[in-house]
Amino acid sequence: MKKVITLQIDDKEVKAEEGKTILEAAQHAGMEIPTLCWYEGLEPYGACRFCSVEIEKKGRSQVVASCCYPTEEGLKVKTRSPKIVKIRKTILELAATSAGEDVSSKMRALACEYNADLSRFRSNAPLPPTKCILCGLCVRRCIEANWESAIGFIGRGIYRCIALFPEKAGLCSTCSYCRDVCPTGRTCSTFGPRPPFPRVNDVLAGRK
Amino acid sequence: MKEVKRISSPEDLKKLRQEIRAKKDSSKPIISICVGTGCIALGATKILKDIKDEIKKSGLEGKVDVRETGCLGICEQGPMLIIYPEEIPYFKVKPEDVSEIISKTIIEGQLVERLLYKDPETGEVAKEIGEIPFYKHQLRLLLGNNANINPKNIEDYIEIGGYSALAKAVFQMTPDQVLEEVKRSNLRGRGGGGFPTGIKWETTRNALGEPKYVIVNCDQGDPGAFMDRALMEGNPHSVLEGLIIGAYAIGANQGFVYVREEYPLAAESISTAITQAEEYGLLGENIMGSCFSFSVRVHRGAGAFVSGESSALMTAIEGKVGEPRPKYVHTAVKGIWDKPSCLNNDKTWATIPLIILKGAEWFRNIGTKDSSGTMIFSLVGKVNNTGLVEVPMGITLRDLIFKIGGGIRDGKKFKAVQTGGPSGGFIPEQYLDIPVDFDELVKIGSMMGSGGMVVMDEDTCMVDVARYFVDFLLEESCGKCIPCREGLRVLSSILSDICAGKGKIEDIQTTEEIAETMRETLLCALGRTAANPILTSLKYFRDEWEQHIIEKRCPANACKALIDFYINPEKCQACLLCLKECPAGAIQGDKDKVHWIDQEKCIKCGTCYEICNFHAVKKLSGEAIPPPPEGMKPIRKLKGEN
Amino acid sequence: MVLLICQHCSYKWDYQGENEHYATCPTCRYKVRIPEEKAQMLRRKGLDMELKSEFSLKEQPVKLRGIAGIVNKTIEDYQHDKSMLIQILLRLQNNFGWLPMEMLLEVSKQLGIPINQVYQVATFYKAFSLSPQGRHLIRVCTGTSCKVRGAPIVLDWMQTFLGIERGEITTDGRFSLKTVNCLGCCALGPMMTVDDKYYGNLKLPDVKRILSKYT
Repeated sequence: MKKVITLQIDDKEVKAEEGKTILEAAQHAGMEIPTLCWYEGLEPYGACRFCSVEIEKKGRSQVVASCCYPTEEGLKVKTRSPKIVKIRKTILELAATSAGEDVSSKMRALACEYNADLSRFRSNAPLPPTKCILCGLCVRRCIEANWESAIGFIGRGIYRCIALFPEKAGLCSTCSYCRDVCPTGRTCSTFGPRPPFPRVNDVLAGRK
Repeated sequence: MKEVKRISSPEDLKKLRQEIRAKKDSSKPIISICVGTGCIALGATKILKDIKDEIKKSGLEGKVDVRETGCLGICEQGPMLIIYPEEIPYFKVKPEDVSEIISKTIIEGQLVERLLYKDPETGEVAKEIGEIPFYKHQLRLLLGNNANINPKNIEDYIEIGGYSALAKAVFQMTPDQVLEEVKRSNLRGRGGGGFPTGIKWETTRNALGEPKYVIVNCDQGDPGAFMDRALMEGNPHSVLEGLIIGAYAIGANQGFVYVREEYPLAAESISTAITQAEEYGLLGENIMGSCFSFSVRVHRGAGAFVSGESSALMTAIEGKVGEPRPKYVHTAVKGIWDKPSCLNNDKTWATIPLIILKGAEWFRNIGTKDSSGTMIFSLVGKVNNTGLVEVPMGITLRDLIFKIGGGIRDGKKFKAVQTGGPSGGFIPEQYLDIPVDFDELVKIGSMMGSGGMVVMDEDTCMVDVARYFVDFLLEESCGKCIPCREGLRVLSSILSDICAGKGKIEDIQTTEEIAETMRETLLCALGRTAANPILTSLKYFRDEWEQHIIEKRCPANACKALIDFYINPEKCQACLLCLKECPAGAIQGDKDKVHWIDQEKCIKCGTCYEICNFHAVKKLSGEAIPPPPEGMKPIRKLKGEN
Repeated sequence: MVLLICQHCSYKWDYQGENEHYATCPTCRYKVRIPEEKAQMLRRKGLDMELKSEFSLKEQPVKLRGIAGIVNKTIEDYQHDKSMLIQILLRLQNNFGWLPMEMLLEVSKQLGIPINQVYQVATFYKAFSLSPQGRHLIRVCTGTSCKVRGAPIVLDWMQTFLGIERGEITTDGRFSLKTVNCLGCCALGPMMTVDDKYYGNLKLPDVKRILSKYT
């Protein structure tokens, strides 16, 4: 059995196993920290930075991603300070830059909660909305379900996107793992056996 | 192939060194020619071939040695060569000069005056390398040996005392003693973070997990910095020696060297060094006959700046995509394949043999209290003497730029110096007298980074350079985190609009908000420090931003959309040169008629500004353009009059 | 991987067996029921294994031909080491100029790395090109020092002269133009390389002269 340590989350004493992350400790204690790219059973990825919390360690305060930060003895965590609320609002607005305002499910609910204006930065990205925030949940789910996954990340920086590999697409007809994890609702609209991702040759040719 | 005897004890090494020194004839002239990448770009390969041919022609084969060395630092004056034993330096050598050099200096012992360095202010001619002001004020601990060794020949390095630090560490000290020595010297990482090296080594040594790894980071992605290339090309054995000593102290048996794809010569240099060290028994199984074994593998990068970050570099060595990962558990504890790995810059590794040989106290006496030792800066941009400068920490920026750098070129006025690459910031004139060390620069908003120093003059637009850095980071970002990818995209779009005259006053506040979010939340150092150039540019040059946004003019006349080119009718000599070279055909005029630019067709490429010999082309910003002087005759100037 | 949790001792492990209904917990030896969705995954794993065994490496022809042969020779030089993927792709890129899709598929098959990882690496790094390059590769440095000394003007001019944007190739296949973030000769800006030959201190008339040397 691992050592049990105590930490403070939002002025409440919480006990957790050493080595667990702050997010897991909070969920175990019944406290909710909102996330975009986290899903139970998958390794934390740390791409959305939405689960950022403020921690105080040895008198210094720092903002860290709670899905990756390991718990330590005597840590003081604040999950909803004014700084964190502002950061989360900005992250939602930034995510909507290329994803567009027309998102559904989890992201729409969070946007309402944090009063985010999803069309704030749309004028800075004059491209059709992709409805994808590149959180990587569908890819990680696919890798977990099929050892050689049918979809994957292509490219770097602003050219990063998710593409389908035609050689492995045969697996998609019996699988629907990527449907229930998407926070913007992009993969929910799969009709039949065709997955909603562009093929890799089309992406490389510039036809998305 | 020469028969090589493996060195199997420190006494063997001493004997080999004595043999090499005995074979050398100290009165024999040696021509040391720099064949680093910079001098090759200026034509050093042909000069080397001409020298060898000329020596054969003059019948001097065997009486004169030719040594191909790495980068000597004073790149502005290349191609250069130094003639030993008198240490005569010749600069800006051309193939036509070779026969004169051989006949006058080598055979007759006379100097070729026009190739010597002449101080532009005092007019003094430097007959020895040590008299040149550029080199006089430097303390070249790491780069100084570049002139004395051929990097492809390990015996040159052994001759000047190489690998004796390794012999001392492995045979006379325990790993704990080596670690203590490095800790006491207060050596801080030269890669940018400035983290105390001794503590990093100790963390790796004490971490659980076998095997342990040591890594050399030669992925110098900072644009404007090239000292890693010079060190790796010119003296790879010093880095290798430091690496082996470090591995001995930490307890690692496998090492990696990560070299950028854009440095092919550096990769070749270190690969040759590794092969030769293995042949001589200084690397591999049972180093120098001891029970310590260590092997090294070279990894080439593939063109990604973000892969220079320590966790991304380790992921790239594993064969995967070089994306950074959260460093809440340090890479010294969990690095490559989740094993303890110690990553240091190659300049840090190259300093280790010096500390072991001369002691931690000697090292602490150089530099300032918190930053000991020397630092190699790459002084580039708009200075007269561009090149690599190695100085003790604590020197002021003014001395660096004006004394060693020789002041701003073309007599322009100093505006700012940018340090630390895309993670650093701008330093304006009022801070020129601060001492340069790790902590002082952070206090004013910038950072030392890996030592790049780009000097800017009055013709550089600060908003344009901030936009350049954001575009650079946008291209090099890995794109994993939302605030970095989207934040940089939005910032790039805002800054392009400002430079094109479409800026709005609320843009400054939006920029600050996005910069704040990026600084707090992001995963890796690239993202967290991405906003530094913009924030320092706003802090010290806010008036330029406001002029761009409100008055729609660029005070430095650099932003293309905000400037117009205009030919001054009083200076134009109607020589037809710009008319022919204009790619858009926008210049009107004739042989006896003053030229003028049709603003509708002008694409603002700047060709006419560059090639006019009479300085008749002006850049106007925010002013009304006078009407074209149709049919006006040029005012002919006499030759020599301006 | 099929993650199973033992309801008796809470032990989590990656089930490697083939039974679709029950598994034995390695610590307490109790029988653990496999839920339906995980059973589906097991069935799919079986299918995948069947496909893999059709092209198992043991049945490879002694001498591979074509693109597979080229890839095989390079992989053998690196002793089939999966962590040398980037070095293998660099060698193939240097020797053949570009990486066609078939080559990437062969690398994935022969090294045993999932295709999505090979593609991710090949599209992440700028040194790799997945489309043919011109006969001569021009790389213009856009580092800070070169920019301050006038590299954007050189780049703009070159784009106008050749008629292409960065990342494209001329219609006659002569040149392809790329930008590089720092070649390491910052003291001699603006810099460019054509086919591994470096040219420094560039002025506009020099560029025309240099390009005309290449056919």
